[in-house]
Amino acid sequence: MSRRRSGTLRTTTRSSELCAAALLAALTLLSACAKPNTAALLLQLSPESPAHKANQTRRFETANETELLSASAAVLQDLGFQVSESVRELGFLRAAKERSAREYGQEIARFFIALLSAAGSGSGSNTLMIIPVDLQQQVNASLVTRPLGPERHEVRVLFYRLVWKSGGTSGDQNIPPGEQRMEMIRDPEIYRQFFTRLSKAVFLEAHKI
Amino acid sequence: MRDSGVRWLAILYLALGLFGCATAPPQSTALLLAPTEEQMQLRNLQTRSFDVSDRNQAMRSVIAALQDLGFIIERANEPLGLVTAARFAEPRWFDVVGVTVTVREEGDGKMLVRVNAIYNNQPVTDPKVYQNFFATLERSLFIGRN
Repeated sequence: MSRRRSGTLRTTTRSSELCAAALLAALTLLSACAKPNTAALLLQLSPESPAHKANQTRRFETANETELLSASAAVLQDLGFQVSESVRELGFLRAAKERSAREYGQEIARFFIALLSAAGSGSGSNTLMIIPVDLQQQVNASLVTRPLGPERHEVRVLFYRLVWKSGGTSGDQNIPPGEQRMEMIRDPEIYRQFFTRLSKAVFLEAHKI
Repeated sequence: MRDSGVRWLAILYLALGLFGCATAPPQSTALLLAPTEEQMQLRNLQTRSFDVSDRNQAMRSVIAALQDLGFIIERANEPLGLVTAARFAEPRWFDVVGVTVTVREEGDGKMLVRVNAIYNNQPVTDPKVYQNFFATLERSLFIGRN
């Protein structure tokens, strides 16, 4: 037997190691081409769908859809949005606005993490961590009106945002800025505020579904 | 020696891993726009006929169904009967599902609806996906009518 450099006790035999390696290689071959296909789940109603719909939808007792759509555009304008697309025959509106996404909580966390991590970099190694924070966001709105009867219309609005993050550092590694993430806005308060304004604009009460 | 043996196995393992996902060689450009058997089958999956006489109502039902499924309506064109929508897959935010829906009159009070779904820029070929969408669309059409 050849001399081993390490002093650890040998617990496997050479042939069993080969078998393990071969099995691992075979598994890699099989798993390397596995594609996670969750698309089938995406065109299905999820358990949260009714809750989201209830948040995003209100009904108005009016026959005038054009007025409702025009008032919705006015409310979006009031909220600082720029309406980018509108299709009257389908009751569709699309709007966007860009704002700063900086939040106090994130800035404070970044400061403390940088302070604590810098304290550890005494003996020559760089352990400074500056976590990327949210910098800029684009809030988008997608609104649709739909007739439900001779004197009823339904308005459904969806808000979502794209957030760009700043740069940072993790030890010696520099994290470049510009990382983007997207999130749906699920806060019911925001939708409530939108519908309160819309309700005032058309002088009608907004009924929940 | 034992160390070099393990190193060789590690290299082999890595090489097998890299070759594991070798894709088919690219088709010649002449065939890119040619109708294939797969395309015909896909078209059958993606198309369905509904008993609706009003195209506007059918389009509004399509939009409502897409919103129920959590999609963001990107583009809607009434004269062309065209709706485009997209959605991010929520557990993995970088997965995108896009759909293009066209609504065309078929005559006899029927409407032809075709859905092209793409998942991360690859066309979706799973029939279950289209069945799920049409199930939701039927519900939406039913609600719209009553």
